[in-house]
Formats: sequence, structure tokens, C-alpha cells
Amino acid sequence: MIIQRSRILFTTILFLFSFSTLAAEADFEGRWMVSLTDQKRTLVGLLELERTEGGWSAHLEGGPARIAIDGDNIVLYADSRDVRGFVFDRKLTGTLKNDVISGMYVQEGAAAQKEAPGPWQARRETPVVSSSEEPRPVDISGMWTATQALDFRKYTMALTPAGEQWLENYLPYYDQPDVRCTSIGLPALATYSFPFEIIASENRYTMIYEYLSKVRRVWMDGREPTEFMPPSRMGHSNGRWEGSTLIIQTGLLDKTVRDFRGELISENARIEERYSLSDDGNTLTAIITVYDPDNYKRPPVRRRQWVRKEETEIFPYTCDPDSFYIPMYEDGEMDMYIERTDRRF
Amino acid sequence: MSKLTDQGRARIGAALILMFGFCIFLARPVYSHHSFTAEFTAEKTATLVGTITQVWFRNPHVRYLITVTNENGEEESWDARGSPVVWLARKGWTKNSIKVGDTVSMYGFLGRDGRKMLSIMTVTLEDGSVLVDRVPE
Repeated sequence: MIIQRSRILFTTILFLFSFSTLAAEADFEGRWMVSLTDQKRTLVGLLELERTEGGWSAHLEGGPARIAIDGDNIVLYADSRDVRGFVFDRKLTGTLKNDVISGMYVQEGAAAQKEAPGPWQARRETPVVSSSEEPRPVDISGMWTATQALDFRKYTMALTPAGEQWLENYLPYYDQPDVRCTSIGLPALATYSFPFEIIASENRYTMIYEYLSKVRRVWMDGREPTEFMPPSRMGHSNGRWEGSTLIIQTGLLDKTVRDFRGELISENARIEERYSLSDDGNTLTAIITVYDPDNYKRPPVRRRQWVRKEETEIFPYTCDPDSFYIPMYEDGEMDMYIERTDRRF
Repeated sequence: MSKLTDQGRARIGAALILMFGFCIFLARPVYSHHSFTAEFTAEKTATLVGTITQVWFRNPHVRYLITVTNENGEEESWDARGSPVVWLARKGWTKNSIKVGDTVSMYGFLGRDGRKMLSIMTVTLEDGSVLVDRVPE
């Protein structure tokens, strides 16, 4: 009798335990907004957690992250690249409780920029829905200086087989457009750390980027590109205000690479930028998403924040490819460079 | 055993030269740079003290060639790389800050795989002043 009761009790406990474990694991599924704070700044990113046959998959800002889930506990590894080009991991360890994941993160691997361990938290994403909100334009004109906030600078992305194949044979040091002083274009130009200026005119915004001294125009009158307008790395941009968010859609792009790593951006890519201004008008935030199913299984996302500094000057960016070509010649690599012509555009 | 004719010798000589050339070609590292990511290592830093022999204060690569004397007393030329001109210039580091013939001390990340390269973090000039190359993220 006692044994039977014990069995029932044990089975009940086991059932409840399994149920609670399953329930907790199931709760991880979905789209989360992660925010992580170190001593100097807060980073924000979209985290997608999905069940797979073998367990779980995780993507941060569109790029794969290693994940382990055990009951209520989660461990995530998201790679990033610092400004000197060193790749490192951020290890996020946390627990799910009351539909909020929270814990601590540490930087792993050698990086030039050392980050102190800090807290992180993830809450369910509130989806951004395109609304028919009345346009309420705000004044974004001025000089903008990049801050170090927001961007995880996720390094690897979820590439299609074609995207992977391209990257396999890519040598950023030789093949990047900007090492030979050619524009890298969008989306990179909108995410780099150099200052830029926005000039507002009646039917357009003109953006002057310090990096490589590049200019783009965002048309606010809904115009289509003229018949013979060639594709370019800045493409053709149309903007519209949804409430006080400026949404820019860009197409007519020329082939380029997404970032320092060299993932391909095809001519069929479409780029969406969402700019919003803080209430005091002094902080500008952008979320930049690349839609390019030829190369990416998920759209890569970058974020950037700038502060208004009217005293900032846009310096001239003179670029002379001699400082790229001559060392290559001295190292006897010129033949190899020429053989790689099909990797450049 | 037949003696080699002059023509024969010349042929063998040419073949040897070709083979030697081929070996050199094989031995040459095909991709010695790989990528900017792989150019330097975050794990090793060093200080180079030496004389500046070339100054390239221009984009895309700010470069200083610096001659240093190694542990064996031999002179070596190192390729030190800096950030884009605009970042350095904003902090007062211009093309006149470091000149050919100056003796300087450069601290930075070392090139990967033993390459004689340095990713500059600081430069100490003869008068003791320090130039800092700290790029914003």
C-alpha cells in the first residue's frame, strides 16, 4: 500500500516536473528584444529563439548564435567584431522568469575593446507594424556624431548556400571596395562610425557622409528613378514619415558587400532604414535591415545612434589607393590580385 | 657515357633555373594577408623602438615604415598601420606629427603569423609626447 502510494506520488511529481520543464522550455520560443549594459553603453538586438528537431536555434540581429537551454536556463554565444577587426564572443547566461529572461554577460576571446561583465535582459518583442499614422515630420537636419550605443555588431549572418559560397572565396583585405578607395555603399556607409550631415530641402533629404566623402539623396516626393538611371551603391531612396519615424526604402542597388567580413549584397537587395529622434531632438536612432533573399536566410539588422553636435566638421576624406597597391606590389601579390578580379566590383 | 654538349648543358641549366624558379614560386605564400581581420592578432602586443623611414599619411592605409634593431643586432623594417586620417587628424595627429628620420616608440598589436606588422595603439615621440590611436567603435 505504502509502495503503491509512493509510486503514485513519484509519478505525479515526475509528471509535474516534466510538465513544468516542458512549459518553461516552450516559453523561450519567440522573438525577444535583448538589451545588454556594460559600463559605458547599452546594446539592443532582436533575438529569435526557435525549436528545432535537435533542440533550439537562436538568431541575434539576423545572425546565428550558439545556444543551450536547460529548463529555465539559457546560454547564448553571439559573435561580434571590434573596430580593429578582432572577432570575439559575448556569452549571455540567464534565466527565464515571469516571461522575462535576465542574467549576466561576459566578453570572451581577445578583443582590442575590453567590455566589463554586465547585466542583460530580454523581453518579448512588440512588433513594429506599419501604420497609417499621420506624418508628423521632425527636424533631423544637422551634424550627427556616432555614439557607441545600441549595435551588437553581430559578425556572422545566416547565409544562403550562394551567400556562403561567395564568402568562402572572399578575401576582405584585397577585395573590399573601400581598400581601393571605391565606395562600399549601403548599408555599410549608414552604419560606420564617421559623422554625417543631413540637409533638409523641400522634396528631399541630402546626407553627406564623411567616410569616403559620399553623398546620397532621399526623395520625399515618391518619385521613381528616371529610365536611364544606373544602379549604384547608394541606390535610389524614397522616404516617408509614419508618425515621427522616417522610413527610407532603397532599391536600384549595385552589388557590394555588407560589411568588413565581405558578405555579398546583391543587385536585388532592398534596404529599409527607420530613423527616429529623441524627444529633445538631440539623439537620432536608426534600425537598418537588409532584405536580400539571394544571400541571406534572415535579414541582417544593424542599429546605430548619433548625437547632434553642430560644432562637428565633416573632414575631407582623401583616399589614394597607392597605399594599398604599393605594399601589395612589394609583397609580390599583384598577380594574385589581378587573378581575383571577379571577386571585385 | 656520352659527354654533354654545350647545348645539352644549357638545356639542363635552363631546366634547373626553371625548377628553382618554380620552387620559389611554390614557396611564396599565396595569400599572406588573408583579411584585415587576420592581419593582426589581439593576443600579442609589442613595442617597437626605431627610426621612421617612410611616412604614408593617407587613406586607405596610414602607414609608417620603421627600422628597428632585433635581438641579434640585425636591422629589420616593420610596417606600422594606423587608423583613417580623419580620426587621427581630429585629435591633432597630422602628417607632420611623425617624420622620416624621427626616432619613436610604437606600441600596438602584432601582425599575425610573425608578419612584421604593427596595428598602432600609441606612439611616443622623442620629446616624450604620446599620440593615441583609439578609434571610435
